Amino acid sequence: MELTSSAAIWGLIFGMCLLNFGLRFLPLAVLTRLAIPRPLMRWLSYMPIAVMGALVATEVMIPALNAAFAVETSETQNLATTALYLNPGIYGALSAMLTYYFTKSFIGGTLAGVVVFALVQLLIT
Amino acid sequence: MVFLDTIRNNVEMKQFFAGLRSGFPIFLGYLPVGLAYGILACNYGFTPLQAVLASALALSGVGQFVALTTLVLSESVAASVLASTIVNLRYILFSATLSPHLQGLKYRTLAWIGFSTTDEAFAINSAEIRELRASPSSMMGVGAIGWIGWIFGTTLGTVGAQFLGDLSAFGIYFAMPAMYAALFVALASNRKQVYCGLIAALIALTLYGLTRLGLGLEIYWFTVITALVAATIAVLIFKDSDDSVPTEAACAEEEVH
Repeated sequence: MELTSSAAIWGLIFGMCLLNFGLRFLPLAVLTRLAIPRPLMRWLSYMPIAVMGALVATEVMIPALNAAFAVETSETQNLATTALYLNPGIYGALSAMLTYYFTKSFIGGTLAGVVVFALVQLLIT
Repeated sequence: MVFLDTIRNNVEMKQFFAGLRSGFPIFLGYLPVGLAYGILACNYGFTPLQAVLASALALSGVGQFVALTTLVLSESVAASVLASTIVNLRYILFSATLSPHLQGLKYRTLAWIGFSTTDEAFAINSAEIRELRASPSSMMGVGAIGWIGWIFGTTLGTVGAQFLGDLSAFGIYFAMPAMYAALFVALASNRKQVYCGLIAALIALTLYGLTRLGLGLEIYWFTVITALVAATIAVLIFKDSDDSVPTEAACAEEEVH
């Protein structure tokens, strides 16, 4: 594998550090000193659930969909079977959601998701 | 952690430790991903010190991977930093979303909360704000435990990767998606929120469908585009009412209890 020069690596490390910090700190520094208009507040209030919806959908479905497309599928039914019923992510995510719903514990939900995911993966393969 | 001296009293210390506890799933989720980063960075010519410093200073999962790949492909520091910045544009969104709940704090406190804001810390903090359990000190704790997990994972990757073998059989890579799923439920406090989340999921999968059809869009763009579009749709189709915005008054009241 091609080794990258040490100077370039240091440049990358400090460049990333500065820009990532700027992205996260500047909006806080400015917006915590200003009154935020209500329409903007409403818009922002939907942001967390929208981010989670996008992340869960992509993390659970895209690996399975990629796998399903990778296998030669002439019938759409095969695609659905592979991406939905044979997708350990679906069972893992549902277990995490139910566990959180009943226990209100993030760590419980996370562990339940991981365990169920691993078990289903084991059963399917 | 120099920012810890902004924690002035026992109540704030307790909140900080509560934040460390709430953020523990982040710690777990970051271990395997940090480990993968450590291995990869060392393969690409980073020394272990450089890999760990990159994680400690940037604290940006996808951004770091993208920067690494770009550096190897383009050998251009500017291009790599730019790539990681573009991927991380969503942090602007996160910081802006948290800012109503951080009014009037010292810049030092904001610096740490801002620095340690990741997708996962943002999600936990948002859920805690909704449950009226969040405070600036708890957010500092949530950020700190994630930061520690990310550094720890990267360190493990740089030193012991070859001895650990393949961890995927244990489902460890599902820790983050599982946490997102639990967080989705935590954030689904009313029907409008649930619909907004489902709209987002649909948009994200539609984007995936479009890339299958030839749309040239990298997967790390999905979250940003989806969140912007879904939140805009939600604001336009749902009526304004008090339950959609957790008020600062409610949060402040909770901190007293």
